[in-house]
Amino acid sequence: MNTLRFAPESAARMTFGVRTHEREILLWAIPLGVLGLAVVHQTLYRSEPWVPVLAGATALAGFLIVHAALCASRSDADQVILPITAGLSGLSLVMIYRLRPDYLPRQAAWVALGLLGLLVTLGLLGDLRWVRRYTYLWAAVGVALLILTVTAGVERTGARQWLVLGGFTIEPGEIVKLVLVAFFAGMLAETRRMRMLPGPHRWTTDLSWVGPMLAVCVGSLLLLVFQRDLGQAVLYYGVFLAMLYVAAGRRDYLVLGLAAFTLGAILSYGLFPHVRVRLDAWLSPWPDPTGRSYQILQGVYSLASGGVVGTGLGAGHPDLMPAAHTDMIFPAIGEELGVAGAFCVVALYLMLLGRFFRVATRAEGDLDTLVAAGVATTLGLQAFLILAGSTRLLPLTGIPAPFLTYGGSAAVSNFLALALLLGISDRIGRRPPRAGGDDGEPGC
Amino acid sequence: MASRVANLGRFLAGLLAMLFLYLTAVQVVWGPQIAEAPQNPRLALAAQQIHWGRILDRHLAVLADSVDVEGHQVRRYPGGMLFAHLLGYRSQRFGLAGIELRYEPALLGLPARDPWQALQQAFGQAPRGNDLVLTVDSATQEAASQALGDRRGAVVALDPRTGAVLALTSHPSYDPGVINARWPVVVRDPGSPLLDRATQGEYPPGSAFTPILLAAALARGHLTQHSQFDCPGSITVSGTTITDPNSESHGHVTLAQAFAVSCNVTFVRVGIRAGAQAVLGTAQAFGLGDAPQFDLPTAPGHLPDPRTLGIRALARISFGQGDLLVSPLQMALMAAAIGNHGIMMQPFVLSQVREPDGRILAAYAQRGSREVLPAWLAAQVTRDMVDVVDTGTGAGAQIPGIAVAGKTGTAENPHGPAHAWFIAFAPAARPSVAVAVLLENAGGEGEAAAPVARQVLEAALRSQSAERSRP
Repeated sequence: MNTLRFAPESAARMTFGVRTHEREILLWAIPLGVLGLAVVHQTLYRSEPWVPVLAGATALAGFLIVHAALCASRSDADQVILPITAGLSGLSLVMIYRLRPDYLPRQAAWVALGLLGLLVTLGLLGDLRWVRRYTYLWAAVGVALLILTVTAGVERTGARQWLVLGGFTIEPGEIVKLVLVAFFAGMLAETRRMRMLPGPHRWTTDLSWVGPMLAVCVGSLLLLVFQRDLGQAVLYYGVFLAMLYVAAGRRDYLVLGLAAFTLGAILSYGLFPHVRVRLDAWLSPWPDPTGRSYQILQGVYSLASGGVVGTGLGAGHPDLMPAAHTDMIFPAIGEELGVAGAFCVVALYLMLLGRFFRVATRAEGDLDTLVAAGVATTLGLQAFLILAGSTRLLPLTGIPAPFLTYGGSAAVSNFLALALLLGISDRIGRRPPRAGGDDGEPGC
Repeated sequence: MASRVANLGRFLAGLLAMLFLYLTAVQVVWGPQIAEAPQNPRLALAAQQIHWGRILDRHLAVLADSVDVEGHQVRRYPGGMLFAHLLGYRSQRFGLAGIELRYEPALLGLPARDPWQALQQAFGQAPRGNDLVLTVDSATQEAASQALGDRRGAVVALDPRTGAVLALTSHPSYDPGVINARWPVVVRDPGSPLLDRATQGEYPPGSAFTPILLAAALARGHLTQHSQFDCPGSITVSGTTITDPNSESHGHVTLAQAFAVSCNVTFVRVGIRAGAQAVLGTAQAFGLGDAPQFDLPTAPGHLPDPRTLGIRALARISFGQGDLLVSPLQMALMAAAIGNHGIMMQPFVLSQVREPDGRILAAYAQRGSREVLPAWLAAQVTRDMVDVVDTGTGAGAQIPGIAVAGKTGTAENPHGPAHAWFIAFAPAARPSVAVAVLLENAGGEGEAAAPVARQVLEAALRSQSAERSRP
């Protein structure tokens, strides 16, 4: 019997015999998303055409194509990351369809484009030496994008964080976050390679490598504060501190950094009226419930009206919240799917974070570790800032929830981040570990 | 480096995991409470699906009803400004107030226990809410509002026998029917038209407080109405000189005469003789310093602590000044309790809940009651209050053929000319109406408020006799 087996079948078995976990979870996550889209359609838009649902389903099917490509290339990449993001993307499309049906085809296109970007990046990327090679280029690109946003950007809902390019509005902050991670990782990996760490803790010598990073970081923060994008400012600073801590392990820098953050927060509260308005609206919303605190209070009412199992898709009133499909998508989920649905979102993020950090702790070489930790921190902190902000646990900032919020720049940049992590996890175990903790450039 | 990466991961996971606790609190533990807040626009949206019940006065005249305007339900208040503070308003953006807020579940036809859940269950089941019948009498309310005119102030009229509120007026007022359009003007108005002065206003009582002194002094037995006092026009207590208005000397007066002419000097002596415990204990028995139980939110006013009260402070309190605040509702309750032989009835304004077909779901004749004074003491205070109207400062409240008991008050305050008070009840022997009138910064003597009280008493008595003659 064995001798009769055809070669193509054997090739197919070899291809599809791998990554079975990923396929199994994807085959749950994707139909669940499509089912959600169908439920929303039947509940709210029964007389409309099914085209948007098809668009959403097609975008979700894209995850299977990525899966097939990973199988074909015999990738050893983490098998849980992709399905979790498929689940989040499915929920995102369902909620966007429910809240802004006219935006669903566009968001589906963005997800598809993001997945394409992921594939291309995985195919072209190879290892991450290029990150270190162009370290200062990343800094320049990041700062240039921010300057462009400040000078040529447009203001929406109180923050100047968008650029208009030929009919598309893009959010450069979402691209800059990855560029900055690349810059920090390149600087820190180079520093470790040059054996400047760990050394005698002399701040004057440290200045040669902390200095440039600090300059870029503070410059970005200033630009962000001027464009009123406080969420991104906190995010970048948090990622900077986290990566510094991971690379250098210096407690004093951590303490110093947090002290500087507190000081900066107090100063900007005193100096910038828009910071003051945000904080006051958060701390004491009751004096002005119909004005400045309207959005934040509506978020809390939306959540509270959801209860344990929610009103059901299409049966609540999350559309009463301003910016329900962007800033307030998480309370919208809490209202219609209840605390059960909101817990699922938090659990998905926790699982994603868990896989990311699993990759980061096992990654080989400083550069891979730092990029993985940086990307993981970026997405994790971003998720926390907006989930907590939209529920009034923290002041509200207009930062997108990864894989959830409506928006093209965020979708593309998050899938690129995914490509970086999948690439890093693929390399784990491919090469025999080397002694010395260096990141082991071949032929070096 | 790997261990630090792991630390970082644990820290971020900890941050996200906090959301589990927080979400449980917001959505499950406090969820229903937050969702029921009147500012939650979902309540108003759900309420739009139900035809809101009407609000009627005691003779079933319509005070509030709903009409359909282009598919939207619009609340109408035929009385305009007349019942604003009692009925409140209904706005999607600014929420609810007054009776509209307090009895929202009933007006939507829901069981009162858990409005939010009931609301969700009742979706589509209750096309019409229930009607509320109030104890107020439109004629008395109109008389009160007309008597106040353009002046800032408040009138509370109630039936001492039951505690049923007959009129509740606060000026300046606003029109709840156009609250959405007028909101920016109304909230900026320096006269604070949204404030219900009748239940929430807190003012010094002036000598309208002296029935309490009289009761405290007579209760102890060492003073009678015939006890003699000498009034030289001023008295010095611990270095502070207290004068009667215009430094007028009342000469030799009995306690009853001093009460009738509102002699501060005498009441300073009475207060010091009775002591802080007796004076403030009696005030407390009348419910001053505590927010009265009522259908609408009420202010507690303020009583000082008798244990720390110095003699100078006691002297000022003895004629209703000093560290002392009361609301018009509290003063009306005080008058009512004296008239009702020492029994204070809990005030209320909701008398019936009716289904749209007229079937009565719930009816209230009275709420609670408690004894404030023994009947003999209430009778003595009543006799002295009749003298106030017959021969003293309250002459403006005389009604031909009916004995009226009353007391004036002139309340000095830091906001300008003195406030004028008048509390009264009639007929004195078996009162069916008690009233408290407050005129903010009316200046001069407390007499300005007495004619207002008379017009309200007359209107209420006329209404009651018409009610009795009806089948």
